[in-house]
Amino acid sequence: MDNLTALHIDALSEVFNIGAGRAAASLSEIVSEEVKLSVPALEFRKCAEFNEKVLSLDQSQLGVVRQQFSGALNAEASLLFTEDSALEIMRDMMGSHISIEELAEFEQEAMCELGNIILNACLSAMSDMLNIQMESSLPSYTVCNAEQLIQDIIDTPDQEYIMILHIDLEIERRQVNGKLIFLFSSSSLSTLRIRIDAFLNNI
Amino acid sequence: MNNNPVEATRCDLTQVIDALNNGIILIDSQGHVLLWNQWMTRHSGILAAQALNRHLTDVFSEPLPKSFVAAINRAQSTRLPVVLSNALHKFPLPLFNNGNTVERISQSIILSPLRQEQGEWHCLIQVTDSSTAIKREKMLREHSELHKKDATTDPLTGLFNRRFFDAQFATELLQAQRQNTTLSLMMLDIDYFKNYNDHYGHPAGDSAIIAVGNCIRNKLQRSSDLAARYGGEEFIVMMPNSTEAVAQKLAESIRQAVADLKIAHINSLIAGHLTISVGVSSYTPGKKADTVTFLKNTDLALYAAKQKGRNQVQFLPL
Repeated sequence: MDNLTALHIDALSEVFNIGAGRAAASLSEIVSEEVKLSVPALEFRKCAEFNEKVLSLDQSQLGVVRQQFSGALNAEASLLFTEDSALEIMRDMMGSHISIEELAEFEQEAMCELGNIILNACLSAMSDMLNIQMESSLPSYTVCNAEQLIQDIIDTPDQEYIMILHIDLEIERRQVNGKLIFLFSSSSLSTLRIRIDAFLNNI
Repeated sequence: MNNNPVEATRCDLTQVIDALNNGIILIDSQGHVLLWNQWMTRHSGILAAQALNRHLTDVFSEPLPKSFVAAINRAQSTRLPVVLSNALHKFPLPLFNNGNTVERISQSIILSPLRQEQGEWHCLIQVTDSSTAIKREKMLREHSELHKKDATTDPLTGLFNRRFFDAQFATELLQAQRQNTTLSLMMLDIDYFKNYNDHYGHPAGDSAIIAVGNCIRNKLQRSSDLAARYGGEEFIVMMPNSTEAVAQKLAESIRQAVADLKIAHINSLIAGHLTISVGVSSYTPGKKADTVTFLKNTDLALYAAKQKGRNQVQFLPL
């Protein structure tokens, strides 16, 4: 990556793993089950280099929770799960509360809540540790196919960089993989680099 | 007359907030209530005057759920909006409709942190009554189930219809071929039905069809057996994993049951009452057959039963 060093990436990984830990704690509280959440890998790319291989999700239909963040950084964050795993997560989370037939009608809102918890936790860890204040839109949930999503990302004006977080989520012994992607403009990316440098200097 | 546009707007906003069909609560960073709209009063029975300046957790007569309190803390500490979905938190707040104090309103809640001019953060709590949406979804689902049922059922007899049978038959035959199992078919037809209709009229004809349908339904013993109305007075039964002997026995018991009804049929040329003819055929492992030949063969068995004098069962191997 031409802009961020391995050290920057390591620091960000640490930040997001702390965020993931917070999200797991919140989710565990809601479902009264132990939820494990981790960010085993993180990568940066230019949007133009983005393709399905990079996303490595083996199913083309995706459930996407989106939030727009603004402030010191402007970013669009999307949390992606394959539609099947999104349904599995919801089924597990609601297991005791809801029947499978009832699932569809609540899926959208519940996915928003789940995504909101994960996105906010990751973002607030960034705010806290890297001292980046941001505001956020409310989450929205859509189902779309991977191709469309990738095309949208490539076509988004002014957002040149993409950060991809690989997320492992485990609920009731079921392991689900998702992706969290952030779209940044180049100016936002340089802000991020400056803040990470400051963070590293303070350690 | 107020000429200050800001003041004028403020005045209108209070009215607007009270007129909203959503619950609106605003709390400060310590959790004290700053705003409590009329929707909240209507559904909680708590007046704004009773709620204002008190800590939100003390306003209600019961403790608030842990997950709700945690969500507020999260919104206030991260200063990011938080969503509480109805699916995961059915009724976080004790809110009711029209004095009903048992059935709580289904709620969806949004928490939005708001930055104030002095740098302090407030948190806006929006409560939406989601029961209407839930009712609507439920109704749509019921309708779609009903349509699904309509699309597969014969309205007169309540048995499956031909379309459903054809689809299931194709699947079952493939499965029998793959798994090397037996699949039997029977076709049943009411004897001299045209004469019956001509003499007793169509309503009586319909009743006779219903009666035969009931005989078939009552005699089926396995849940995997499937009976359908195949044409006017023609029925079809598919029996997965049934040998030709079992299928013929079942066919005979249905024929007997119909005869035992003793429905008068003075224009029947073989008996004074309503009877049926039945053709049976079986697919056994190793045989080559598609749905068309199998159906045709069963129809030939039925034709044989008619040829041999009606009111009987005939078997024809594939």
